[in-house]
Amino acid sequence: MMKVQRKSSLSARARHSAAAVCALALLGSANIARASDPLPSDPELEAVTLSAPKPSWVFVERGFVVPGNAIYDTDTGKMLGMVEASTLSDLSIDPAGKAYYVSESIWTKGWRGTRQDMITVYDSATLKLKNEIAIPGRILIGGRKFNFVLADEGKTAYVYNLDPASSVNVVDLVKGKFVKKIELAGCASLMPVTGVGFSALCSDGSLATVKVAAAKPEITRSAPFFSATNDPIFDNFGYDGAKQQAVFLTYTGQVFTAKLGATPTISEPFSIQAAAGVSPADTKPLDVHWYPGARQGLAYHLGTGHAYVLMHTGEYWTHKEPGTEIWDLDVAAKKVVRRIPLEHPASAIAITQEANPKLVLSTERGEDGPSALLILDAKTGEQKFMLENSGGGVMRTLEP
Amino acid sequence: MKTFNPDAMGEKLLRRFAGGTSRRGILARLGLALVAAPVFPVLPVSRASAAKPDRSPEAKTTFARNAQSKDDTKCDYWRYCAIDGSLCSCCGGAVNRCPPGAEHSPVSWVGTCINPDDGRAYLIAYRDCCGKAYCAKCNCDGTDRETQLYVPQLNNDVIWCFGTTSMEYHCSTAVLVGTA
Repeated sequence: MMKVQRKSSLSARARHSAAAVCALALLGSANIARASDPLPSDPELEAVTLSAPKPSWVFVERGFVVPGNAIYDTDTGKMLGMVEASTLSDLSIDPAGKAYYVSESIWTKGWRGTRQDMITVYDSATLKLKNEIAIPGRILIGGRKFNFVLADEGKTAYVYNLDPASSVNVVDLVKGKFVKKIELAGCASLMPVTGVGFSALCSDGSLATVKVAAAKPEITRSAPFFSATNDPIFDNFGYDGAKQQAVFLTYTGQVFTAKLGATPTISEPFSIQAAAGVSPADTKPLDVHWYPGARQGLAYHLGTGHAYVLMHTGEYWTHKEPGTEIWDLDVAAKKVVRRIPLEHPASAIAITQEANPKLVLSTERGEDGPSALLILDAKTGEQKFMLENSGGGVMRTLEP
Repeated sequence: MKTFNPDAMGEKLLRRFAGGTSRRGILARLGLALVAAPVFPVLPVSRASAAKPDRSPEAKTTFARNAQSKDDTKCDYWRYCAIDGSLCSCCGGAVNRCPPGAEHSPVSWVGTCINPDDGRAYLIAYRDCCGKAYCAKCNCDGTDRETQLYVPQLNNDVIWCFGTTSMEYHCSTAVLVGTA
C-alpha cells in the first residue's frame, strides 16, 4: 500500500517534467500508471506465510491416493495452504500453534528400498520442513484420528503401530527423540490420559489404560463393556482432552461416555435413536432403522458437549454408509435436539471448536464423482460454503 | 448352536496357509512366518459368545440376500461381503490371483460370506496384492461383520501388505479358505 502511494505521487510530479519522465523511464523502475503502459513486473517471488492455526481452520486429508492435508478457513471458504504429507500418513496439530506433525512412512526409492518411518515436523508459519524424528514403525491405514495423538501439552506423541502385532511408539517431541515401544496386544485407537499415558479400545470390549512412565509400562483393562465383533465402537470417536472424557458410539447407536484416568469409569449406554424419539436400532437382519455410520461419522463440540452424528437408514452392517442426516445430540441430556437433512450424503464430519461452531462435511456425489466440502452453521444448519473438489478423508480442527 | 469365533477363523486360516505351503517355502519365509504367526492365535480377541447368523434368507444381511455367484468383477459377487478396495479380477488378476507382477500378501483380514448357491457360510481371506500403484478399478466396500481397528483381522481398511517386498497396495483378492 505504501509503495502505491509513493508511485502516485511520483506520477503527479512527472506530469510537470518531461525530463523527469525520461529519467524515470530510463531507470525502468517507476512503472508510471498510464493506460498505454504495460503491467509492472511482479516483485521478487516470496511464498505466502500463515498465522498460527486458528479455531476456524479445518485440515482435510485429501484421500487414499492423493497425499497432503489441505487447510481451509471456514470463515472465508478459502484454501490457505497444505501441510505436506505422504499417503496413509496422520496429522497432529501442535497445541502451542508452532508446528504441524505428520506421522508418515516413506521408502528410499519411492515404494521400494529401505522403509523409513518418522514424525515429520513442519513450521506452522512457513509450512517448511523443520525436523524429522525417526520412529521404528507405524500402521499404514490413514483416515483415523486416533493413531497419532499428542499428549502432555504437545510434548509427547503416541504413534500406533501394526506390523501386524500391535504396539505404540512413544516419542519425546521436545527432544525430537523416539523414547520406547509399548506392546499393546489387541487394542488400538489412542486417547491421551493426563499424568498417566493413554487409553485404548480393545477387542475384548474393554478399555485398556497404559501407565507410560513406569520402567515396564503397566497396562490395566476395564471390565468389558461393549462387543467388539457384534456391536463395535466406531474408532473415530469424541475425545475431550481438557475434561478427560471420551464419547463412544457403537454401530447400533449406543452412546457411552468414559471418564478417563488411571482407573477410567464408563457410563451405562443410551440409544441415540431413543434420544431422538425413534425406535432403537438392533443387529437383526431385515430390521430397517436409522443407524450411525460413515468413515468419520461423529464430530464432538467440546464447549457444548454436543455430538454431531452422521445417520442413514438401512439394515445392520451398513456402518460405512454415508450419512443422509446430521443428528445433533446433547450427550449429557441424552437428547437429539436437531436433525439436519443433507442434500448430498456425507462420508465425514468435523466441527470447529469455536463458540459459534461450524460443521464441515465431506460429501459424496456419485461413485466416482468429485467430492465437495460443505461448511454449515452448526446451530442453524445453514450452508455457508460449498467448496467443489475439496472433500477427502478424515478432517481435523484445532482443539483448545 | 455354533458360535461366531474369530479365533477359530484365524486358526483355520493359518492351518490352511500352512497346509498349502512347502517346507522350503516356510524356510524361505521364516521371517515372514514369525511376523504372521502372532496375528490370530495370540491376540486376545473377544471370546464372548455371539450368535452365528442362521442361514435362512430372512436372516441374511442385505449383501448376502442380493449376492450372486456368476460375475466376480462385480461388487455383489458373494465372496466380496467384507472386501475393501479394487477387485484384482478387474485389474488383470482373478478373484484369487494377483495381476502380473503383483505379490500376494501372506496375511490378510477375513470375512464370513454366504454362497447363494449352497447357502453355506465360507471363510474368505482377503489377500491384498502388493507392489504396484493402486489399481482404482471396480472399487468395492463390503462391510458384513467388518469391525474396527482394535480387531484388525476383521478390519478392511488396514493395508495388509505385510511380509511382501513392497507395501504399496494394488488390489484385493478373495480367497476361499473353507466352510466357516
